Amino acid sequence: MIRSSRTLPFCLVALSLVTAASSGSGGIARLGAPHRSDSSIGKTERPVTFDRDIAPIIFHDCANCHHAGEASPFTLLTYDDVKSHARQIAAVVRKRQMPPWLPEDGELKFADELRLTDRQISLFQEWIDDGEKEGNAADLPARPNFVEGWRLGKPEVVMTAEKPYLLPAGGDDNYWNFIFRAPVDRVRWLKAMEIRAGDKKLIHHANVQVDRTQSARHLEKEPGAGFGGMELEIESESFDPDSHFLFWKPGSVPYVEPDGMALRLDKDTDLVLNTHMQPSGKAEKVQPTIGLYFTDVPASVFPMLLQLENDRALDIRAGAKDFVVTDDFTLPVDVDLLAIYPHAHYLGKDLLGYATLPDGSTKTLIHIPQWDLNWQAVFRYTAPVRLPKGTSVAMKYTYDNSEDNIANPNHPPQRVMAGNRARDEMAHLWLQVIPLKAAESDADPRKTLLEAFARHRIVKNPADFEAHYNLAAMLQARGQLDEAIAEYSRAVELHPNDATANNSLGGALLASGNSGEAITHFHLALTIRPDYFDAHYNLGNALVATNDFPGAIGQFRACVRLRPDDADAEANLGGALAETGQYAEAKTHLERALDINPNLTLARENLEQLKQLMPR
Amino acid sequence: MRRAHPRLILIVAALALSLAILFPAYSWCLSSSDTALDLSGKAVDPLKSAAGKVVVLIFVRTDCPISNRYAPTIQRIISAYEGKVAFWLVYPDRAETTDMIRKHDAEYGYKISALRDTEHALVRKSQAKITPEVAVFDASKRLVYHGRIDNWYVDFGRTRSAATTHELDDAIQAALGGRLPPVRVTDTIGCYISDLE
Repeated sequence: MIRSSRTLPFCLVALSLVTAASSGSGGIARLGAPHRSDSSIGKTERPVTFDRDIAPIIFHDCANCHHAGEASPFTLLTYDDVKSHARQIAAVVRKRQMPPWLPEDGELKFADELRLTDRQISLFQEWIDDGEKEGNAADLPARPNFVEGWRLGKPEVVMTAEKPYLLPAGGDDNYWNFIFRAPVDRVRWLKAMEIRAGDKKLIHHANVQVDRTQSARHLEKEPGAGFGGMELEIESESFDPDSHFLFWKPGSVPYVEPDGMALRLDKDTDLVLNTHMQPSGKAEKVQPTIGLYFTDVPASVFPMLLQLENDRALDIRAGAKDFVVTDDFTLPVDVDLLAIYPHAHYLGKDLLGYATLPDGSTKTLIHIPQWDLNWQAVFRYTAPVRLPKGTSVAMKYTYDNSEDNIANPNHPPQRVMAGNRARDEMAHLWLQVIPLKAAESDADPRKTLLEAFARHRIVKNPADFEAHYNLAAMLQARGQLDEAIAEYSRAVELHPNDATANNSLGGALLASGNSGEAITHFHLALTIRPDYFDAHYNLGNALVATNDFPGAIGQFRACVRLRPDDADAEANLGGALAETGQYAEAKTHLERALDINPNLTLARENLEQLKQLMPR
Repeated sequence: MRRAHPRLILIVAALALSLAILFPAYSWCLSSSDTALDLSGKAVDPLKSAAGKVVVLIFVRTDCPISNRYAPTIQRIISAYEGKVAFWLVYPDRAETTDMIRKHDAEYGYKISALRDTEHALVRKSQAKITPEVAVFDASKRLVYHGRIDNWYVDFGRTRSAATTHELDDAIQAALGGRLPPVRVTDTIGCYISDLE
């Protein structure tokens, strides 16, 4: 009956809605690679023509964004469209600024890579040199057929931001967060999500984070108003770390979770849309919409997100050109790596993620030689990358805090440390993995992985509150109560005013039979947060354990007031009332508990017993 | 009467000579094809319509994201020199209709006059290659600066957090003070006007 399901701050979590044509069910008609082989091999017949040589590249690599209603500032579909930007296109492809694609080509391939061959790039200049000929219409491949509106068809649920954000005409980049109240009245399984950013020209990218405890709402000045900020810290549950990347970038096709995978959405969950917007030159109203697609099939495969990071090492002196930050973690179980998400701010220069396998060989997971915050994305591998137990996964990020870095937000450069603001820095590398069992008899590999990860964080930073808390929660779940109590106690020492940590410590103490100390910590939790349902509930149980039934009744009444539809609270209130002889009221509450949840066996048994005791 | 004719020629020749000495960079003879059209379709020569004033031509395009993102900066500069400098927005894309331009100017809050430079007469006169490029003509209508507004954009898709040099501002100040600007020509990041040929 103890609820110490506590929530942990896991930062930046998301599920990519990036492209993934392979899994796209319906939606956009993406072309294969028309004529690509022609133009990637050696010589092309001269003159280079639009219909034969240029259109296939434009249709395959550019038009997905460069069509009406999409994120790009102009359309590239027809000969006239392309001709009126010909030199600009030649220049941006030559510099590999378009199509935007940060990772270097390597052994591991990503889904929907947007990388032109050298030959394709030179074709644009040759086309201009040859007089920008249109060519023979018979050579022109079919124009891509873009679906207007929702790309996966009509969503089951559409949510619109309550209030628009007013983006000024000019000035710095803007970071704004919209909170959506997930409109579900029971547990639902989310298969896909489409973010419609309003005018897509304005939003460079967006993340959705699942806020299971509505922890972000207090940041809004008024309900529905949204709030500013580049990075979010959202609390999420310990044994259910949000395991999906919910990421949107321009031109992306909504990502449909593969078989077995889905994101759990509970009642009272918030979805926080974190957007990065660039002023366009005119003032704009931005009011995004999110479409949700559900499945009735609950998830059976649970990926996890591992965050390599070393923000504590970020202390970059003004003028430093090659400031390096590293982190590495040895996997305690085999994993399949599905996707990767590198993250730094404006000083990031060279971002490398790599793995050292048990045999000593290394594998580049991702290498971005010229980081550009504007084109950050979640990158999904074309096939899962198996990393065996004992593999070290590592990041090495290099930062440039000199005047040479044109993206440097400080002129002149200033000392920069880790933080959530755009002018602070970050050093994060997220890996989405599926932990694997080596043998059926093995412990849950997710827990093994989480525990090892928490211990890794504590080694890096003994004062890491979250890591102590997470480790404690896992130890408790495994029944190692004494160790759990020690870790929770360390967490409470670090954050004495954290209501959740006090509540969880109380829960572990109560489970170990120490109701006296447990009661102290539940009271502390309630002093910090008087409307804390879990703490009232746990205190009620602790008081029951000390036979203080009147005290327990008071706590369970508070629970029922806070959550009128919680069957456990009703059942326990009924039980405590019965203990003090208040049978009539006890019966009401037990019946109410069974109304809410007819499967609550304990309440049913208690009710039966009560009926025996009550005068007929 | 017969004597008057050669004298007239002499006067003109002398005038031409003195202009050539004073204004070596300025080709002062405008033919009718050297004019642009205002939004009512009337031919306008922006260099003749503001006698004694510094003139700034700003080359823009409705679908050029870089010239669009410059709109607030352009407006700030316009309001800083209101009354002292004649500013014109110049649209070099023949395909952009007066309706498209009116809509664009309203959306981006432009209050100054716009010209359609369908024959690229002003493009040639300003030696403009890119949108958003600017051309500054001093009070004698000599081209004293052409190039970027400032150094905010470093490359396509790459901007500084804020500009650190302000070439248009510097050029206007110099022209108002009767001086030549410290920098006469700069390269601009943006959309190629030659793509509109």
